[in-house]
Amino acid sequence: MTTQTAPSAGSSKSGETLVKISGLKMYFPVTSGLFIQRKIADVRAVDGLDFEVRRGETLGLVGESGCGKSTTGRAVLQLYRPTAGKINFDGTELTELKGAALRRFRRRMQMIFQDPYSSLNPRMSVGQIIGEPMAIHGLYKGAERTERVQYIMQAIGLNPLFVKRYPHEFSGGQRQRIGIGRALAVEPDFIACDEPVSALDVSIQAQVINLLEDLQSQFSLTYLFIAHDLAVVKHISDRVAVMYLGKMMELADSIELYENPLHPYTKALLSAVPITDPEVERKRERIILTGDVPSPLRPPPGCVFNTRCPIAVDECRERVPEWREAVPNHWIACHRV
Amino acid sequence: MTASAAAEGAPRPVVAGTSEWRIVLGRLRRKRLAMISLVIISVIYGAGILAPLLAPYPPTQTNLDRPVEGPSRDHLLGTDRLGRDELSRAMYASRTTLIVTTAVVLSGGLFIGNTLGLLAGYRGGWVDTLIMRVGDVFSSLPSLVMLILINATLGPRVIGWTRWVEGHTPFDGLVASGFPSYMLVFSALSLFFWVGTARVIRAQVLQLRERDYIMAAESLGASPRRVILQHLMPNVSFLIILSLSATLGGIAGSEIVLTWFGVGVQPPAASFGAMLFEGSGTRTFQASPHLLLVPGVIVTLLLFAFALLGDALNDAIRGR
Repeated sequence: MTTQTAPSAGSSKSGETLVKISGLKMYFPVTSGLFIQRKIADVRAVDGLDFEVRRGETLGLVGESGCGKSTTGRAVLQLYRPTAGKINFDGTELTELKGAALRRFRRRMQMIFQDPYSSLNPRMSVGQIIGEPMAIHGLYKGAERTERVQYIMQAIGLNPLFVKRYPHEFSGGQRQRIGIGRALAVEPDFIACDEPVSALDVSIQAQVINLLEDLQSQFSLTYLFIAHDLAVVKHISDRVAVMYLGKMMELADSIELYENPLHPYTKALLSAVPITDPEVERKRERIILTGDVPSPLRPPPGCVFNTRCPIAVDECRERVPEWREAVPNHWIACHRV
Repeated sequence: MTASAAAEGAPRPVVAGTSEWRIVLGRLRRKRLAMISLVIISVIYGAGILAPLLAPYPPTQTNLDRPVEGPSRDHLLGTDRLGRDELSRAMYASRTTLIVTTAVVLSGGLFIGNTLGLLAGYRGGWVDTLIMRVGDVFSSLPSLVMLILINATLGPRVIGWTRWVEGHTPFDGLVASGFPSYMLVFSALSLFFWVGTARVIRAQVLQLRERDYIMAAESLGASPRRVILQHLMPNVSFLIILSLSATLGGIAGSEIVLTWFGVGVQPPAASFGAMLFEGSGTRTFQASPHLLLVPGVIVTLLLFAFALLGDALNDAIRGR
């Protein structure tokens, strides 16, 4: 069974770019009018992102609720059609794919969802859920498919004797494993994990995180790991990107970002992570941001963070900071650094 | 399966899961009223199916020597004004009800409503607008008037076509059974009745569409057809069954009402509507109460059974 590992696409080595996102914008129109729908505004969920995901890495994507993390993940997978921007997946321009061609391409990119309850069809048994991607893409017929389903169930730590059971007969953690198995079934290169552990108990979170890491090395997967739990992201990610109000604030190697954050927003975020040692916890400096996140309907001019930034100057309120590589491999959007 | 079980040494059986359908059926089986309702419906429908075998007399055989008799050994439920056997009439009336309700399913009333509801809810946009606005137009027309119009204008033609079918195929007695006119009436009714079903299904689909498993299916590369058939339809199937049980009762009742008014099934064919009409009136009731009681009790039981069964199904589906 060990021969059934994912065939990696061509002569690829880890470290090269797998997905390149440039100028990604995702606006949701707000309409009004009873008969003639008139667009009155846009919710700028994602407003111009440039980054790349390297083959074999885990790119963490963090930010507060509503900053556009999940939207970014869904737009990259073309579950939402982006308003603007390019997404180059291993040489293929995803924004130009449509219909059946796009559906065929989905074999290479999968998604793991946050809610283990609503992400599984209650009318399908585990075997059907994990087998469905293979049915869609016409992989593994008949007995081979049954065998493959069992192989995946073992890989995700579920007893293969449970193939005929239904989602409601499993716990949250087990259900999340089923969701992971479904994503694995078609041997993808890239998986967008949309807060895969946020809905689980802390003890189960660790199990699922470890499972994701094991599977990554076993199947040479690339992850875009979306989360708001900084400790989890630090643990699993090679590089981490910080988002605020639809824009990227900072992107660096995981260790670099946590030890040497440059952006004032990242600093404030990291200062909010609880530290288990009470001595250190008492002494450390806590940056508390004032005010609320502005509405993505009317983001502030200049740097979107200027309304809450402790070190903002006039320039921040007037000019949008450019996304630049301040230090090699350390990207940032801030005038003051 | 056997391969991996053998590899582990001891062959163990696959643990069978319990699907939600089985849970619902289990709950339903414990409801006494639902089971009684099912029995009543089966008995009445069974009598309808087996009427030609079981009925003691032909339903149209008159005996003017013995009109309006009470129950006796010859006529267990008595006779009507023309001396026809009341029990045989009731059995053939059940047959009418059976044909009427089957015709609704066959003429596609349920099929149309469900398909259009699924489509409108999932596709949204102009498809949704078109389907729902057309539905609004149909539901704003007075269905009874339209029904009479359609029946009067198309009826003879449909009977003509059926005669042609009878002449060219082994099927016999189609016209005599009144099947073509039922099909016509209920195809016409379907034109008006799909709207309600479609609206209910659409509303549910709009809600389901936001579930992650629909997005998950799309992210797996499932075609719209697959999303609708594999993911949406099984999850609205309970609603479809519910609408079925509600519609069948309503349709059976509406045939009886139409016939009572004289615009439904035409004599000499037996119908509960006609039997009720013949038995109503204070004097008739005082002189021979069985003329009203026989069809009255059966119809009441049948409609109650449909209502109670639908109610119990609803409870079972919602987990009570």
